[in-house]
Amino acid sequence: MSDLLGYIVTGLGIGAGFALVASGLVAIYRVTRVVNFAQGAFAVLAAMLTASLLGSGVPHGVAELGGVALGAITGLLVGVVAIGRPGTSPGTSLIVTLGLGVLAYAIEILIWGDQPRSYPGVPGVAEVGGARLQAHYLLIVAVTGPVFAVMAWFFARTDLGKALSACASNRYAAQVVGIDVRRMGLLAFAIGGALGGLAGVLTTPVQQVTFDSDVALIVNGFAAAVLGGLTRPGVALAGGLLLGVAQTLVAGYGGGAYQVEVALVLMLTVMIVQAARTGPVAETAR
Amino acid sequence: MSRPVVEVTGLTVRYAGATALDGVDLAVGEGELVALIGANGAGKSTLVKALSGLLRPHAGTITVRGRLAQVPEGREMFGDLTVDDNLRLGGWRNPEGRRGRDTSPIYELLPELSDLRRRRAGSLSGGQQQMVAIGRALMARPDILVVDELSLGLAPLVVTTLVGHLRTLNTERGLAVLLIEQNARLALDMCERAYVLETGRIALHGAAKDLARDPQVTAAYLGGHVEAGGGLEAGGHVEVGGGQEAGGRLEAGGHASGGHVEAAT
Amino acid sequence: MKRLGFGVLALLLVALPPLLPERHLATFVLLTLAAAVTVGVSLLMGYAGQVSLGQASFYAIGAYTAGLLAVHGTPPLLGLLAAPVIAAVAAVLLGAPLLRLRGHHLAFATLAVQLILLSLLAQADWAGGAIGLQGIPRFSVGGFELRNDLGYAYLSCGVLAIALLVARNVVASRAGRGLRAAATSEVAAAASGVAVGGYRLAVFALSAAFAGLAGGVYAFYLGYLAPGSFPVLLSIEYVVMAVVGGLGTIAGPVVGATVIVLLVQVLNTLGTQPGMPDYAPTVLNYAVYALLLVVCVLFLPKGLVPALDRVRRGSLDKARSIR
Ligand SMILES: Nc1ncnc2c1ncn2[C@@H]1O[C@H](COP(=O)(O)OP(=O)(O)O)[C@@H](O)[C@H]1O
Ligand SMILES: [Mg+2]
Repeated sequence: MSDLLGYIVTGLGIGAGFALVASGLVAIYRVTRVVNFAQGAFAVLAAMLTASLLGSGVPHGVAELGGVALGAITGLLVGVVAIGRPGTSPGTSLIVTLGLGVLAYAIEILIWGDQPRSYPGVPGVAEVGGARLQAHYLLIVAVTGPVFAVMAWFFARTDLGKALSACASNRYAAQVVGIDVRRMGLLAFAIGGALGGLAGVLTTPVQQVTFDSDVALIVNGFAAAVLGGLTRPGVALAGGLLLGVAQTLVAGYGGGAYQVEVALVLMLTVMIVQAARTGPVAETAR
Repeated sequence: MSRPVVEVTGLTVRYAGATALDGVDLAVGEGELVALIGANGAGKSTLVKALSGLLRPHAGTITVRGRLAQVPEGREMFGDLTVDDNLRLGGWRNPEGRRGRDTSPIYELLPELSDLRRRRAGSLSGGQQQMVAIGRALMARPDILVVDELSLGLAPLVVTTLVGHLRTLNTERGLAVLLIEQNARLALDMCERAYVLETGRIALHGAAKDLARDPQVTAAYLGGHVEAGGGLEAGGHVEVGGGQEAGGRLEAGGHASGGHVEAAT
Repeated sequence: MKRLGFGVLALLLVALPPLLPERHLATFVLLTLAAAVTVGVSLLMGYAGQVSLGQASFYAIGAYTAGLLAVHGTPPLLGLLAAPVIAAVAAVLLGAPLLRLRGHHLAFATLAVQLILLSLLAQADWAGGAIGLQGIPRFSVGGFELRNDLGYAYLSCGVLAIALLVARNVVASRAGRGLRAAATSEVAAAASGVAVGGYRLAVFALSAAFAGLAGGVYAFYLGYLAPGSFPVLLSIEYVVMAVVGGLGTIAGPVVGATVIVLLVQVLNTLGTQPGMPDYAPTVLNYAVYALLLVVCVLFLPKGLVPALDRVRRGSLDKARSIR
């Protein structure tokens, strides 16, 4: 019983990382209709920078913020290349972000090498209802919750957030009222970058990061986001947590080797069911 | 005509080769009600997009003195946002900043919207949406409102209400209106002057009451009832009065704003 | 003109290998195999309008099919013939549900399939697990064993030639025209009676067969297979080659694969110069793929072949866009 609780809390911690990546994907997709393949790279870059900063004596907190800031800046840069040229179709942008994700490999290896990196998070072991787990998982959950609350407030209550939602709702109408939709797209990319960066910064103490960790992150993030049709951050959060818990349970109760398949099979099932329900939607990606 | 708020000369717009507007001259004076009628595909919406800077003209100039706002064809709601948020976003480019995004004046101008504040715009009826679209455009504190297809798909009673609002805004606030309509009777009734657009060119223009009596117009747009003969200035050019000051020359992609700021408050 | 191009290409494929120094033959083999896989990817992207980020799965399926059969004593020729068949069968089974998806959904689905395959392979002891499948015999037909690189160079040339010929015939066929229509507007194509779904699945299977056949040759050539030989990045490389060469053109995949493999070779040589850090080749490798992909997609959306065509034909009939 206490095992189960431990697995669930650990799973929530891991799932929170997926949820952050997923919500970054959603933030970008809603506004720009671009699925950002470089989303995982934001997490890796942020984690790598944080590790370096901590290594050179920068205190906790500041180093993590530096990582998140790098995520946001990288997000903005990816956005500039992916949607900066007028008339770039979402399909084209997707392939551009794929290319930029690979470019991130080159940059990461150049700066940080190809070895896994990590850094200490919240030290010690915590007890939750009799289950013992690394205390850092609690921090992940404790940070992710408020971040989602702030995001919800931002999109629903602030004018800037409403303008972003307006672009998601009706691009043409947004142009009619004078919203610069491309600038909003870039802002969305920066937000997505920060969220991805946060995911990397938060989870690295419990899951070391390598330059190619982005594949697992993007796949899990996409699986969580696609549950809500890539447009609903709330569903992305729930999906991420669910995935995290499911994977931890699968690993915990013996199927350690099949952890990856959980997200992948779920993603495939969800997409196929969605496609069967809505019929073939012509979304060209070229 | 009074000093023009909008002045268009030699406007040519092309889509991937096809010419949608070909040397259009048009002007709307301060506080004037002007109709633009024309068949489907004549190029009316293209003109609207060019006026609001959403399309880059191939040739010609567009001069807007003051601010221009549009009520787009098909109403173009932010469907999953509330009515109040739709209105608020209309004030996005309002130079008064946060204060300019206060929606309460709109509920005074268009009281029907008061009860709909919290409703999702996508769930409203066509007439209600058209009212939201007008309110949203008014949030920009425009000097001229360009309304694309006011009556499209709406019940006659609803249209009467909307026309009433536009008239009131015109007489009480001095708001100029360029009304684009396929219902020529309605447009000619409401406006003082009118233009007839045919396949990208201004075919006729003159006083609305003269056009209403013109045999060509009645045959093509008013169901063929000739009421009386009347003089008509066909294909003529608009005389442009007024000074040249503070004319914001509209570059494509830019937002229509220029001269003075104060408008319907 | 087209015919001439094919002649030149065929001549090159036949004449080049013996002229190449031994150490470049390996590059030639891998280039040719990559081009054969890319023919399928280009067909899929250019004619059926679908992005596959999992084409290396079918390469792997073909390789493992041939490798496993050969290891268990099946004649290599049989193994090589089975490789494209099994890959195509896998594509049909996977494609039936997956090809309902479009755009980024399909891209992620194919990526997911490859990740699942890699993970399953790594756990499959009967296929050598994560360590890999070793001791695959050399390719042989009726006692004649293909021992040196030159033989494999010709074998892979044959594979490429088959892929090109089949692709050209498909493109020229009624099905090909239907597919092209479907890539632009599925609704319109369906309305005019094109069996879109069936064609799409057929192209998917065909592209898998090309990859499977190339994978079969790869297995015999290297004699050793591991899940790590088929990373996701390999699938992305095929997409890059297809995009760089020009989607939906027949020569595109060959040009794309050649340009990229040569560029990577040159940079590799540069990166392994004394004085260069040991990570230099990897970094340059990733950077080349990334930059080529981004630059091509943004500035040469139709790829090198149409762009070169345009230059050659001069700007006069530029308006008559190239297909
Ligand atoms: N985005 C576009 N691309 C190409 N042609 C267009 C586009 N929009 C409109 N057109 C064409 O331009 C002409 C004028 O269209 P429009 O301005 O919408 O006419 P109206 O509003 O008077 O019905 C029509 O022939 C229409 O087909
Ligand atoms: Mg119109």
